[in-house]
Amino acid sequence: MMRKRRIAAAALAMGTVAALLAGCASGGSGSSGGVTTVNMVLWPGPEGDAMQKVVDAWNADQGVKDKVKVKMVLLSRDDTFSRETTEISARSSSEDIYFVASYNVNYYQAGLDPIDDVGITDSDYFTPVVEGLKIGGKQYALPLDVSNHFLYYRKDLIDRLLSDDAQRAAYRQVSQKVLGEARDPKDPADWDVDDYLAMAAYFSKSANPGSPTTYGTALQLKTSVFNITLWDDLLWGLGGGWTTKSGKADLTSPQAKKAMDVYRTIYENKWTSPDAAQAEYAETNSALESGDVAFAMQWSSAYSELTDPTKAPKVAHTIAVAPEPGDPHSTHVHALAVALNKYSKNKDAAKTWLKYLATPEAMTAYAKAGGIPSMPKVLADNVDVNAAFTPIADQVGKYGYTPPLFTGTFDAMTQLTEALNPGWVGISPVDEVLGDANTKLQSQLDKRK
Amino acid sequence: MISSTIGAAAPRSRRPAGTRRRGAPRGAARWALSAPLLIFLALFAVIPTGYGVWVALTDQTVLSTDVRFVGLENFAAVLADKAFWSSLWFTAWYTVLTTAITLATGLGVALLVNRRFPGKRALFTIVLLPIMIAPALMGLMFRLALNGDTGVIPAVLRSLGMQVSLFDPHAVAALLVVLEVVQWTPFTFLIIYSGLQALPAELYEAAALDGASRWQAFVDVTLPLLRPVLFAAGFLRGVDALRTFDVIYVLTGGGPGTVTTTLSIYVYKQAFVSGSFGLAAAAAVLVMIIIVPLVPLLISRVVVQPGDAA
Repeated sequence: MMRKRRIAAAALAMGTVAALLAGCASGGSGSSGGVTTVNMVLWPGPEGDAMQKVVDAWNADQGVKDKVKVKMVLLSRDDTFSRETTEISARSSSEDIYFVASYNVNYYQAGLDPIDDVGITDSDYFTPVVEGLKIGGKQYALPLDVSNHFLYYRKDLIDRLLSDDAQRAAYRQVSQKVLGEARDPKDPADWDVDDYLAMAAYFSKSANPGSPTTYGTALQLKTSVFNITLWDDLLWGLGGGWTTKSGKADLTSPQAKKAMDVYRTIYENKWTSPDAAQAEYAETNSALESGDVAFAMQWSSAYSELTDPTKAPKVAHTIAVAPEPGDPHSTHVHALAVALNKYSKNKDAAKTWLKYLATPEAMTAYAKAGGIPSMPKVLADNVDVNAAFTPIADQVGKYGYTPPLFTGTFDAMTQLTEALNPGWVGISPVDEVLGDANTKLQSQLDKRK
Repeated sequence: MISSTIGAAAPRSRRPAGTRRRGAPRGAARWALSAPLLIFLALFAVIPTGYGVWVALTDQTVLSTDVRFVGLENFAAVLADKAFWSSLWFTAWYTVLTTAITLATGLGVALLVNRRFPGKRALFTIVLLPIMIAPALMGLMFRLALNGDTGVIPAVLRSLGMQVSLFDPHAVAALLVVLEVVQWTPFTFLIIYSGLQALPAELYEAAALDGASRWQAFVDVTLPLLRPVLFAAGFLRGVDALRTFDVIYVLTGGGPGTVTTTLSIYVYKQAFVSGSFGLAAAAAVLVMIIIVPLVPLLISRVVVQPGDAA
């Protein structure tokens, strides 16, 4: 009797556990009725919205012929990479295609399969973009969107400065104070880092009470991983970089020190809002849209918002873009991309879909749906869809660079932001934070496989 | 006493057979009744904790194809990391401060509301609103409301002639404390208010007859009787503050530098940014080792033993 009860209790417990585990299991990907469903992760937002339209068109037409149905899996924009990290480490097969980027494809490599056989033509893409997704000569991801920076500026204010003798004289005075040399104002397309600094002062009430704006610029100083890329533009624009030619960490170079000094000078002198200490993409857009800032380094994806009269009524008509300040001008470039899960059970079907995504036709549809494809010809042919395509095509090709790409790139970006940030906002000495950043970068470089 | 002596004197093997048969089913019933809780504990506490400890002893990363046992290496690495200690101190400071302030503000609001007045229900609803909002959403709302260019709060301060930078690197930790207090005061208020409602009115009548002032009644009657409630509220609030992640991550990302990095953010970054699961697990285990000894102390203050009320 007792034994039977025990068996019954054990069976009940096992049943409960089995039911719980069954409830945890996810579904979606796989074959049914001869049609294979491919799960593809993307993040919500403009990229996810645009891709959904391409996916819908595929599922309604070519996908039916090829018997491949694509299902979008939109994770949170902030946590997509965390979720993917978890899935890859668990060797999960629930997603067939992962969303990755140039700066983390190396990090995820262990969970990805190369996709050299899906027909990617290198010459169709921006070189730094397609090369940034290769590891050991093998293509690990298919580029979707290209992302870079512009210098957004108020054309009305700059034009007035350039044409008004009194303002030119005032600018010469301000630049004398800031740089130790009296400079004439230049067109933003010709700014080097010193012009950028002097202009930030000139358009700030704290340095020039007659300024039409409260702050010259809007820095993005929050301890947020992508903010390092904007500072990098100044570093590269001064002829520096993360590493020496031999691959050693080089963040204690004179160029790195000057780039730090520029940020710190702007922050400490209130040539950017004190709130910039916690600012990132959205806050910079708000600052530019408020009309209280003359110019700012910002992501290319902000172009559509800043030039839309309904979203930025105060400035949309007068916002223009120029290359990032520097000599040479330099813009960080990275690609958002998709990659094949090594543990996918639907690799053939996933590759059929990826083959389609590698065609200019698919990327044209993506551009028309709101994406920013990494194919220069597609951008040039679709300028009527998005006016930003012209400067993107122009500047990515001419001024684009990528930071060193290795397994720990994303981790290094995070650690450098944390290390440099106290120097940017004036709470730690510049030399100390640069030394700390250099040590952390070298440590990451030493881990390279 | 007698029964225990008899029990001790009678070896189990000498018990009458009938007694054993009655005891066994009772034991089985105990196990059966406890089974759901035991399964729950095993699935959601014992196994994950055990697995976490195991991961902490390995070099597991997102890239690992082979996981290697590394002993206490991860613990040594975490203990040598300045960022871990800085996050530990910030978390301790933040937890103690926010818990103390939310208890004080919650008690204050509860005392104010603990009387009859018109519009009490409406006020109650308004006071409770902040705890109905998800912390991450609260972080986003604060981020918008505090934005220097478009936020409501800076605009109001400017209209009053105050030029204050709420995100100043030297003030941001204090700002986070204020925001935590704004969001969680309703929580402590609710618990303490329930406690106040349960206090017997006769004690106050007796105190009044003895000539006690309101302050004396508060100090000598209310506070002693509320002590378990205050400890319960403080315990729950402290646990919650200790694992704070959302609001701080959304607002400051743990910066400037690592100044506002909590232990949760530290562990998150180790696991999901660096991909070092071993280090992240080691940090989490260390946090557990630090916290667990405190729990029985706190529990003993919260749980009311028979006779305590007398």
